[in-house]
Amino acid sequence: MSLLMSITVAVLFGAGIFLLSGRDLKGVVMGVFLLGHAANLAIVTTGGSPIGRTPAILPEYGLLSGDEADPLPQALVLTAIVIGFAMQAFLLTVLVVTWRRAGSIRVDVLRDMPKDEYGPLESERRGAS
Amino acid sequence: MIWPHGIVLFVIVPLLAGAINVALHSFPRLQRWVVVVALVVNLVLAVATLGEVYRGESNPGAVLVSQMGNWPAPFGITLVVDALSAVMLCVSAAVTLGVYLYALSQLERRFAGGYFHAVYPMLLLGVNFSFITGDLFNLFVAFEVMLMASYVLLCAGTTRPQLRQAYKYIILNVVASTLFVMACGFIYGHLGTLNLADLARLAAAGQIPRTAVPAILLLLVVFASKTAAFPVWYWLPDSYPTMPPAIGGLFSGLLTKVGVYALIRVFLMVFGADPDIRFIALTSLLVSSAGTMFIGVLGAVSSHGVRRILSIHVISQVGYMILGVGLGTELALAATVLYMIQHMIVKTTLFLCCGMMEKYAGGDELGQLGGLLRRDGWLAAMFLIAALSLAGLPPLSGFFGKFLLLIESLRLVPSAAGYALATVALLTSLLTLLSMVKIWSFAFWSPAPARVATALVPQRRGAAMAAIGVMVALALSVGLGAGAYLKVATVAARGILDSGDYIRAVLGESSLIGSAPLARANNAGEGEVE
Repeated sequence: MSLLMSITVAVLFGAGIFLLSGRDLKGVVMGVFLLGHAANLAIVTTGGSPIGRTPAILPEYGLLSGDEADPLPQALVLTAIVIGFAMQAFLLTVLVVTWRRAGSIRVDVLRDMPKDEYGPLESERRGAS
Repeated sequence: MIWPHGIVLFVIVPLLAGAINVALHSFPRLQRWVVVVALVVNLVLAVATLGEVYRGESNPGAVLVSQMGNWPAPFGITLVVDALSAVMLCVSAAVTLGVYLYALSQLERRFAGGYFHAVYPMLLLGVNFSFITGDLFNLFVAFEVMLMASYVLLCAGTTRPQLRQAYKYIILNVVASTLFVMACGFIYGHLGTLNLADLARLAAAGQIPRTAVPAILLLLVVFASKTAAFPVWYWLPDSYPTMPPAIGGLFSGLLTKVGVYALIRVFLMVFGADPDIRFIALTSLLVSSAGTMFIGVLGAVSSHGVRRILSIHVISQVGYMILGVGLGTELALAATVLYMIQHMIVKTTLFLCCGMMEKYAGGDELGQLGGLLRRDGWLAAMFLIAALSLAGLPPLSGFFGKFLLLIESLRLVPSAAGYALATVALLTSLLTLLSMVKIWSFAFWSPAPARVATALVPQRRGAAMAAIGVMVALALSVGLGAGAYLKVATVAARGILDSGDYIRAVLGESSLIGSAPLARANNAGEGEVE
């Protein structure tokens, strides 16, 4: 199980870094997401494999058997997933805004864009004030 | 009294302000009052906390601890304020308030509209939380809150240069955060705890397994990239100048300093007792500091926009701070804290001055500026004081931190390395002065370029100058009252280097003798292989 998880993490990291090195910002952003998922899987793995173990339950419902998978890494990952989700939503929004302002999300096109132009505002496009 | 549990307010007050302002989206006037009230309350709280923590220069600072939900220390979420945290809380509170007052009158609608007033307190929330959190994972969460707010502020206005540079900033920070959360996971896997006091106790007892060292050193990379230290500084000089000066000033005042704070907290206090980690971390910080100082200042000397010069300078000054952390002695650390205090104030002031200069000239390129000495004598005076403070001329605030750092680096054991570092630091100082003089002579001394001779006049100049004036007064007080500031900084440094009080305050009196409850349980289950 640990071996399988390690290989998955490695593949995800590799794919993420490959995407990061591309010229399309969409790919770059996806690469960042993959890195996040790889990190989360790696942390889950540090808690030990949950297969064949009872979930950790507070002692009021019966004594701990000592055989539970460590719940704390899972809690950490849960937090990290929520944060990562917010980050992904934000990055995708920036991507959309970039597309609207610059008409492209390729790194080389963006680099050669004139520096001083603001690009049209949303309201200017619609012809409002 | 509200202590020690009052420290929760450092999270609650900005959070409430941010949440209320999301709801008040269509009432901008009301939003501003909410933020001003929150920032003032935060400043009063921070000063009161410092008063509570600081008990004179010869006493160790008090440590205020609040356990969330009353869960005992290594298991629950712990908030801790020691002398260093209190100092940082105070300065960041003052800087955020000053910048906000300036932004109220000077930030264009394009940037200040929408959710600006909701996100601004959220940035403070992240900064405050990273100063008071007592465990590593919540430090990660605090960083994320702070960074998320900073992404929004960085992109607010959505100009093309902002969008283009935003990716560099966001992606570097997201990758660094990914490494951070992985390091947290691995450290937990090896040590069974993430509570800073508990980790410090394990380090002091020599119970950190060598297999955990790489994960811990991963944190060094993470914090170094957040501070824009030498090999990983490249995201800063392109992204900061795209922001309006008010926001750029806030970023360069606060964000990189949070990284330096994390370096101090984790590598000097928590793992400082472990000889291997200490040696590797401090040596790499020393090497990095020379590069950071020098690259930053070279970039500043070769740039031609005021925003860009000031932004790249942030890197160079971070180098001084890292130098102090790398030296790791009490005096060096006190000097670093003093330098951080002055840098946060002075650098922000310079950005605000730059904002006013742009209002006169219509841009921040040196060629566009000119004749400002005649057009606005007060602005010239403010800029001069702040610029000379940054360069470190003796009666002003930059001098004392740099001087003490130089003394300490000359005492470094391989003396050749010490002399080399001191030389780089002195040369950097000289070039800093040069680049400040460059701005001064272009913007204030040279005659105004013909086409913008008198065309532009800043709106609501009085309000902005009042905000800048308060910041300059603060900067002057750090210089003229350096003795008092140094006393507080020394207490903060002592609290870091002798972590006993911190550990006892968080884990309870008997903690330094007992064994780690969680580490045992976890390490027992860790050896299993499928």
